[in-house]
Amino acid sequence: MADAGGNIQNIIKDITREGDVVIVKLTGEIDMHSSTELRGCLLEITQERPRLLVINMEEVLFLDSSGLAVFVETMQQSRTQGRQLKLVGLHPRVRSIFEISRLMDIFQIYDTQEEALA
Amino acid sequence: MGKSRSGTDEPFETSGYLHVLALLGGTAMGISRRVLATLGSISLLLSETFGGILCGVFVPGVRLGREALLTQMVRVGIKAIPIVIMIQLAIGMILPLQMFPKLDEFGQAEQIATINGIAAFRELGPLMTAVILSGFAGASIAAELGTMVVAEEIEALEALALNPVRFLVVPRLLATIVMMVLLTVIADVVMVLGGFLTSLRLGIDADVFYLLSREAVDLMGFGTGLIKAGVFGLLVGLIACYLGLAVKPWQGSDGVGKATTHTVVYSIVAIIGADAIFTVIFYSYGLFK
Amino acid sequence: MPDYTNTSEPVIQVRSVIKSFGDQRVLDGIDLDVMPGEIMVVMGGSGCGKSTLLRHMIGSIVPDSGSVKLFGREITTLSEQEMNEIRKKFGILFQSGALINSLTVGENVALPLREHTHLDEKTIEIMIKIKLELVSLRIHADKMPAQLSGGMKKRAGLARAIALDPQILFYDEPSAGLDPVTSAQIDQLIIDLTRKLHVTSVVVTHEMDSAFSIADRMCMLDKGKVLKIGMRQEFETLRDTPAENLTSDQDKLIRQFLRGDADGPLSRRKADSDYEEDLLRV
Repeated sequence: MADAGGNIQNIIKDITREGDVVIVKLTGEIDMHSSTELRGCLLEITQERPRLLVINMEEVLFLDSSGLAVFVETMQQSRTQGRQLKLVGLHPRVRSIFEISRLMDIFQIYDTQEEALA
Repeated sequence: MGKSRSGTDEPFETSGYLHVLALLGGTAMGISRRVLATLGSISLLLSETFGGILCGVFVPGVRLGREALLTQMVRVGIKAIPIVIMIQLAIGMILPLQMFPKLDEFGQAEQIATINGIAAFRELGPLMTAVILSGFAGASIAAELGTMVVAEEIEALEALALNPVRFLVVPRLLATIVMMVLLTVIADVVMVLGGFLTSLRLGIDADVFYLLSREAVDLMGFGTGLIKAGVFGLLVGLIACYLGLAVKPWQGSDGVGKATTHTVVYSIVAIIGADAIFTVIFYSYGLFK
Repeated sequence: MPDYTNTSEPVIQVRSVIKSFGDQRVLDGIDLDVMPGEIMVVMGGSGCGKSTLLRHMIGSIVPDSGSVKLFGREITTLSEQEMNEIRKKFGILFQSGALINSLTVGENVALPLREHTHLDEKTIEIMIKIKLELVSLRIHADKMPAQLSGGMKKRAGLARAIALDPQILFYDEPSAGLDPVTSAQIDQLIIDLTRKLHVTSVVVTHEMDSAFSIADRMCMLDKGKVLKIGMRQEFETLRDTPAENLTSDQDKLIRQFLRGDADGPLSRRKADSDYEEDLLRV
């Protein structure tokens, strides 16, 4: 996880904007390398101050604690702005890292994107 | 040092029933083997430290730990300032007093300024500072590193893929060298000041004292003194770090105590030895007139 | 659940490892496989070589002969740099916690993150909080190690061990010197980390209660040799079988150790020495 080098793949699959809602679709593994990139992207988006930021994680198979920290920081941002952040489609393995870190109650987590947008 | 990975920790074999001669021979060989092994490991530590310093200077992303260096400089040096001042002031006052009767016989009483100045800048400034720091910095570094070994901290650093040499030895060694040089400057000046106080008491004219002192202290004397101080700092820091890290976890507080004592003793021996070598070199190259 | 299918490779593979200190042979041909996601408990009396075995697995001791593989890579022949890359993939909880005493608890946890990653300081700060919360020490982040109790130091050491999200965690006597409640908490943490984060755990211990409550498999060492490796259930059965029903001396010896009985082959071994002769010699 922390090994140097490694192929830096793009973990941000696409970003769609529907009015004041931004949906970020992620893919692959979020580890100590890719989380820096993720952080840059998410902080940029929160600067736009969207009413609702939905992070779709259906294709994220692995998340480490640095990725977790990035989500927490994004959450701090949207909270201070009075905006909303929703996470969608956590894989069981990803969900368990949220659980063990006792972060399930801090985030709004939905099974599908439709539910999050409803 | 990666010592445990490469080296074996086997103790020296001792057999009880060898006859005296063989025993003595064995001991002598054991000691010389030990000395050689120690010198080998010390030079290894030195090269690794310089590697660490170079790495910290030239490789981007590798941090030297500026805060660590600062903390160590305060610990090693700043706290030793009062003692250095006290001791150098005393020596500066004592030495001219001892010289005075003989010089006065020759009607050269004011020459105590010359003697004091040369002694301070060329010899006693660096030397006394080094002796003080070997007790002050050397002992505390050895004790600290030894305690870290016993508390598994060194092993933990290694297990965290952090090199103890880069992480602990580099800032301590650099701090010792830098502070040794700075303290030597203070020691030099304070000793001259001590001599000045005595000479006033002995009725030597302040202007004469000043002039003679200025004449006695040339840049060469000052510079070579500082070079010596730097090398003394290197020796004290190196010996302290080496002996501290050489404590074995199972030796406990006993090992830490021994490392501390040995650091002071070996440091002083090394300092005097280096001083002798320096003096020979400086004089044979005619650096001093 | 741990992966015991034939297709999966062991994460740790120890093969015929021999190590002597001086003329004392501490490890005498050890073979051990640790599978991904399992909790392997290595146990044995004091001086049986279990700590030495652990130090071989983390690469801090090189064996006289034999092989140690982590993640399929032989580590006994690696250079210090190569070994350091492997070290970033596992964490160790030392017996005393082994915190760096000159750094605060939070700085201790942050140390591997600051040294080995290029993460933003803000990310690191949040990670420290998350890791410390995991071991219930978040409010103590700014304390110096000297201000902590033994159990807290150990928990802080655990937080630091998991800082880089390691794939293997080694525990050296995790419950030694702890009160029963703290010890049970640490056991629970070991289980949670292993099950939920799919970490592989190797626990060296002589505390049988703790061993039985966490182990998937167990390995019993004695005099530098492996006496028995098996599923926890096998050891439980052995422990609960009456001594008369056991035929082999080895099983009786393991049983005594597991039960912590005062009487048995282990104690007889000690008593068999030349006590009488020693006393009565003139």
